[in-house]
Amino acid sequence: MTSSPTRADADFFRRLKVLVVEDSAEMRRLLAALLESMGVEQIFEAPDGLGGLDAFAEHRPDIIITDGSMQPMDGFEMTHRVRAANAADGANPDVPILMISGHIGRESIVHARDQGVTDYLPKPLSAGVLYEAIVAAVSKPIHFVETPDYRGPSPKRRLSPRGTGDTAV
Amino acid sequence: MTDLSKTTHAESAEQTPPEVRFIRVPSIAERKLGADYVAPMRLDPRVLNQMQSTIKGLEARYGDSLREQVRALLTLVEPACSGDAEARGRLYAILHDMRGLAGTFGHPMVGRFANSLCLYIESAGTTAWHDDTIFRFHLDAIREALESPGADPAITLETLNALQKLIAASATERRRQG
Repeated sequence: MTSSPTRADADFFRRLKVLVVEDSAEMRRLLAALLESMGVEQIFEAPDGLGGLDAFAEHRPDIIITDGSMQPMDGFEMTHRVRAANAADGANPDVPILMISGHIGRESIVHARDQGVTDYLPKPLSAGVLYEAIVAAVSKPIHFVETPDYRGPSPKRRLSPRGTGDTAV
Repeated sequence: MTDLSKTTHAESAEQTPPEVRFIRVPSIAERKLGADYVAPMRLDPRVLNQMQSTIKGLEARYGDSLREQVRALLTLVEPACSGDAEARGRLYAILHDMRGLAGTFGHPMVGRFANSLCLYIESAGTTAWHDDTIFRFHLDAIREALESPGADPAITLETLNALQKLIAASATERRRQG
């Protein structure tokens, strides 16, 4: 056992499974390339929320990175369904979900938070923001609230687009 | 310090009001590394450098793709504003891509012009396509920003402000017409 903090390096990321849900092929290529350069070897891709749900059930990722606006199912609805998934069926509804979106208005962020998004990353995406968000997602314990209608990160928590310095909602 | 011995791999729960449970699930790092994980996780500058190099490496290829996208946009405006639904969908998809990616690859103003036009389409709905003026002005600005990346940022921002005023005037006109 080591006594110094664990380094978020390629050795650690090699153990991660990441699902990328994004309708833009260019953006998927960018995200996959960035994840590979971090050391992530198990990257799964889906072009929309429906495909994302299938991949979530099949691959049981450790993290989901999703776009917000997609057709026919967007990233908000997919997040809602992931959080509602039944752990008894082998799903992991507690998986951290990072949403990347060009919409950084209050309405979109509140909607993301209420569906159970863990972290909100603004477009255009930078390497630093993605890296920090993933490290935060994997290193912090996951605190969830469960009610008869909702399971996920507290809907009362403060959420702001990472790296923008904008006011949290 | 949190006592993890009380937290099983699955989850721990404290029963508070009858219908609300607060759950703590160990972090992914705790689960993957077990006792080898020592918090807080430290960022590794080598990883960040590698990621930034990856973006740099993709920039040239993206630049080519961006030029192709601009050419496609210029040919799509006319059919899109003449009622071609497929052209509208394709035009919006390209702009949506552009607003998300151009900034990452060193073309922030291209991304901002694309974002401005996307927001116009999203807010105006089908009426956006009744007149091609706003489209053509935006596409000229996008093309200019792409071809002259070293242009004076103040002038480029002024162009963006002018486009947004044009959009605001168009919205006022739509409201006036009911």
